[in-house]
Amino acid sequence: MNTHQYLRAYMAGSAVPTMMLLVVLSGFLAARYSFAIPIPIERAIIFPMALIPNIFGLWNMAYLWTRPRSHLAIGFHGAILPFFIAPVGFLVATCSGFLAATSNGLVWFHQIVVPYAVLAAAFCLALIAYYLVWKYVVGFFNGVLGIA
Amino acid sequence: MHEEEQKKVADLVKQSLRPMKRELTRDLWPQMLLRLDESSRDRPWYAVLLSPAALSSVPWFDWALLAVLIIGICAFPRSIPVWLYHF
Repeated sequence: MNTHQYLRAYMAGSAVPTMMLLVVLSGFLAARYSFAIPIPIERAIIFPMALIPNIFGLWNMAYLWTRPRSHLAIGFHGAILPFFIAPVGFLVATCSGFLAATSNGLVWFHQIVVPYAVLAAAFCLALIAYYLVWKYVVGFFNGVLGIA
Repeated sequence: MHEEEQKKVADLVKQSLRPMKRELTRDLWPQMLLRLDESSRDRPWYAVLLSPAALSSVPWFDWALLAVLIIGICAFPRSIPVWLYHF
């Protein structure tokens, strides 16, 4: 089991957001068809579907590469990821035309206003979520694939 | 029993017993790992992940962080679209 370590790290990392994609897509569909929020699903799904799994896989490869040097725990390694994902996500959403920054806060899908204070709280919660997900779920998959 | 007889008996006993091997001929650790893994092999991965043994090994501060996370999501429902987008 010592071959293709980085490939296995990529697969273990990308498994979690791939599974979460079903939840995300269900949430978008429910918002659009049940609550009549005009979410452009075909544009909004690009970031969670195409970029997030790849970023998770690459980040897990980076963990495997840096582990002998940094000795950083996998939970803290994962908690660093929102500092990279959040700006990229906002950039993609802004370029896709469904996110606008106003004086009151960020406006998602031309309807949902998220005040900046809520955004700051959400970011802190994201750090916790990523810490827990990376420590327990990605760490578990790393163990299953023999790279823990 | 004289000393000579005792020595003779001791020699006979030594000759009849096979010499012991102090070193193991093979590594037993992989077999031990296989044996440990046998219990989890037949179960699906989510059953192993959520097993009582796995849950009991979670430290208390991680449970506290999970509680903060759930309370935070309930307190800021407007952040749910942001969450959906970034996961």
